[in-house]
Amino acid sequence: MSIKKIAPSLVAAAVATVVLTACQAQETKMGSAAAGKSMAAKTAQSGPPPLAPLGPPPIPPDNKQTPAKIELGKILFFDPRLGGDASTGCSTCHEPDQGWAWAEDFSRGYPGTVHWRNSQTIINSAYYSRLFWAGSVPSLEKQAKSAAKGGVAGNGEDDIMESRLALIPGYRKRFKDVFGSEWPLIGDAWRAISAFERTLVQRDTPLDKYLLGDKSALTEQQVKGMALFNGKAGCIQCHNGEMATDQDYYNIGVPPNKRWEEDGLAQVTFRFELYAKGMTEEGYRTTKADPGFYFRGKNKWDKGKFRTPSLRYTTYTAPYMHNGVFYTMEEVVDFYNRGGFDEEGRTTGYPENKSKLIKPLGLTDEEKEDLLAFLEAFSGEEIMMEKPAMPEYAPLFTKAELEAAQEAK
Amino acid sequence: MVVRVSTGRALLAATLGVGLAVTAQAASYPDIGPLPQLKIDKAKAELGKRLFFDVRLSGDAAISCADCHVPEKAYASKEALSPGYPGNGHFRNASSLVNTAHKNIWNWDGRIGTNLNDMTREMITEDYIMNMDMRIMQERLKQDPLYVKMFKDAGYGEPSNGSVRKAIPEFLKTLTSTGSPFDTGTMSASAKRGMKLFKGKAGCIQCHNGPLLTDLKPHNTGVPENFDVFLDPMNHQAFMAFAMFQGIPNYRNMKRDPGYFNVTLEKKDMGKFITPSLRELKYSAPYMHNGMIKTLPDVVEFYNNGGGKDSNKSKKLKPLGLSASQKKDLVAFLESLSGKPLTGSKYVWDQPYPGEYPVIENWTQVRN
Ligand code: HEC
Ligand code: HEC
Ligand code: HEC
Ligand code: HEC
Repeated sequence: MSIKKIAPSLVAAAVATVVLTACQAQETKMGSAAAGKSMAAKTAQSGPPPLAPLGPPPIPPDNKQTPAKIELGKILFFDPRLGGDASTGCSTCHEPDQGWAWAEDFSRGYPGTVHWRNSQTIINSAYYSRLFWAGSVPSLEKQAKSAAKGGVAGNGEDDIMESRLALIPGYRKRFKDVFGSEWPLIGDAWRAISAFERTLVQRDTPLDKYLLGDKSALTEQQVKGMALFNGKAGCIQCHNGEMATDQDYYNIGVPPNKRWEEDGLAQVTFRFELYAKGMTEEGYRTTKADPGFYFRGKNKWDKGKFRTPSLRYTTYTAPYMHNGVFYTMEEVVDFYNRGGFDEEGRTTGYPENKSKLIKPLGLTDEEKEDLLAFLEAFSGEEIMMEKPAMPEYAPLFTKAELEAAQEAK
Repeated sequence: MVVRVSTGRALLAATLGVGLAVTAQAASYPDIGPLPQLKIDKAKAELGKRLFFDVRLSGDAAISCADCHVPEKAYASKEALSPGYPGNGHFRNASSLVNTAHKNIWNWDGRIGTNLNDMTREMITEDYIMNMDMRIMQERLKQDPLYVKMFKDAGYGEPSNGSVRKAIPEFLKTLTSTGSPFDTGTMSASAKRGMKLFKGKAGCIQCHNGPLLTDLKPHNTGVPENFDVFLDPMNHQAFMAFAMFQGIPNYRNMKRDPGYFNVTLEKKDMGKFITPSLRELKYSAPYMHNGMIKTLPDVVEFYNNGGGKDSNKSKKLKPLGLSASQKKDLVAFLESLSGKPLTGSKYVWDQPYPGEYPVIENWTQVRN
């Protein structure tokens, strides 16, 4: 429950404090278990796992895929009624024709707000063991819930969203068919959306084809780029395996977004996030750069770390990085080539935590071109989708039923 | 959650129980009369006023308190049913806020019995009212230099959730009736006759007593349901969300407003609503928790018929047998309880609000 929903109560004052602390724990309570898994891979003598063709996404045993569930999830994904004022649903910030993300540095926010991070693509999100730039949630199911409720995202509350579903006959029928419940339950909405998201995968990129044996799938230049990726440029150290990510957390030197210095609305959100994610008083007063992974365990060495993102589908998802500071892949490659500095020489707000793996690469112009060409091999065709028709509201009771109830009073 | 709600229920029920016993025994009622003066801190009230009319206190920055509590309507809603937060409707009339600071129990169903600080929080945070995450609200206010100054001048330090919940109640104190013929001793002869009926034959005084003309207790008067609550899914969704959150059993199939039942979950309280004040009725039509009665003559007719139909209706209500002229007199008395409209810049913040949030200069250097 968010602080918004404080129950009417005579013991309000005491309760308010409790609720506050409880909801602040939202992002911070997560264990640090996830980081472990990828470490194991790294300690192996053989070095990082090689890039690999993408297999089918993992399906959790308690949320099996069915066509009816996927179809329901698709409708819900596009339905803005799963948000506070019925204007902002998942697809609002994850637009199919904007790479299933939002093509600005910061994502658009709930009306009256702006987000403070770049909107991530939904494509292939099914493969991550932890979601969000800082890995704050462990499953798509939990992710959908927190996206729909977050104050600068969907700003919806369970009770109102579930009530809306109950008053839409098309949903009542579909939820019943899929989940067998008399009334739609909001938790099942997140399950259905997750099932839909697990269909938004891309496994036939040029790279996949190449790795599966079709040597004509990559150009010669791309093959050279791949060698740099695996060698001199060192990208493979973190962007490895079938998703081109070790799913670990690093501070690679991404500089703070200047909008925080220039845009009042962005400043509002920045402070809100610090407050909501439970910074200490002093931390709230003095923090000027996104602490990222720090929110998970509150260890100061984690400040400025973010989850290594997949490089798949990135042709369509500019701008890049957690705060969208780079609008082109050229800028990204130049940034790495300088050892984690932008063209003005700016770097992370937490330089003490910058990964030792990030250092000047000394790539020639030609090598940069080759690397850029190879990065394109991580993306196949653009995945487009028509917005499905939205089922409509209808009164639950007839006038006659209401009259009868009135008579019976 | 469940624990908190039920604690509230138990406490509230206990207090009311005692109150009812006393009145029943005494069988004489606190007299009607002028309202006590409230001490008002000007700087705090002025801040509260600016907040009350500011849309930035709602989640999507689209509505302010005044969109539902309309100054010209004695700070009640224009229509029978209040608007809701965008994307929602509502299931009750927005209560008049004139004299609300003189009460000790709030909402038509009396679910808040603490103070206006809690009431303010409920309005700001409830998802079909203003749907505001108060942490975002606080940061919005800190981004507005005039608020920064006003909070400081009011002695609150920097803008915070806590002081919003103090400043708005301070403003609400300024919404106190002034200048009604009843208070200034300028009632017409008809109104005076009406007052006699009110205290006598018509029996209104049994529930509408004291300076506010309310006992602040729950009663069932049998006001018919407003079917628009259930026939318009926008209103129904707000009702359903409300009833779900309150933990009302079988809330999805519910076809009536439970009223005070919501507070106790006891059958005997079904359909009871807290007696409203009868001041400023001239401005606040339509009447009752769901706006089902349009005019004061209609209200009087309603009571003359012994109220509406409900098996749980108060035993205090019986057909009154008022003559046509007696009904007129009673209406005249009800009208004499209205004073000057609380509009104009003394009550309404009429300066423009900034269109966007100014940037805090030198951001990386200053403390947040
Ligand atoms: C107001 C914009 C907005 C809305 C609405 C929104 N999102 Fe997001 N989404 C974002 C942003 C921004 C991020 C990254 C946030 C972060 O890391 O803190 C994100 C991240 C995600 C991710 C994580 C992907 C990854 O790689 O880890 C998924 C999955 C996702 N959103 C799904 C959804 C779903 C499902 C909904 C609807 C219930 C939704 N989003 C609604 C903006 C939005
Ligand atoms: C030390 C680990 C590490 C290495 C080495 C590394 N990256 Fe990254 N990469 C990351 C992390 C972590 C991020 C996200 C950083 C952020 O948002 O602050 C990222 C982000 C990116 C992005 C942005 C993706 C998006 O969706 O916004 C691209 C593109 C990228 N890296 C490409 C490369 C290339 C090309 C190389 C080699 C030159 C490389 N990376 C080397 C860890 C690494
Ligand atoms: C979307 C419409 C709406 C908005 C906005 C709104 N209210 Fe209300 N308000 C209502 C309704 C409807 C009720 C009656 C609720 C009930 O009885 O359940 C009410 C009741 C109240 C009451 C109780 C009055 C009494 O005497 O019982 C107070 C006090 C109040 N509102 C203050 C405020 C303040 C202060 C704000 C702004 C912070 C505000 N309201 C914003 C609709 C609204
Ligand atoms: C048994 C207690 C009781 C008695 C007796 C009673 N009332 Fe009421 N009155 C109420 C309650 C409770 C309400 C609110 C009912 C609702 O909203 O459903 C109310 C509402 C009203 C309202 C509407 C006020 C508004 O703001 O909407 C008026 C006007 C009114 N009463 C006038 C009278 C008059 C005149 C009499 C005498 C003829 C009278 N009442 C007798 C309890 C009583």
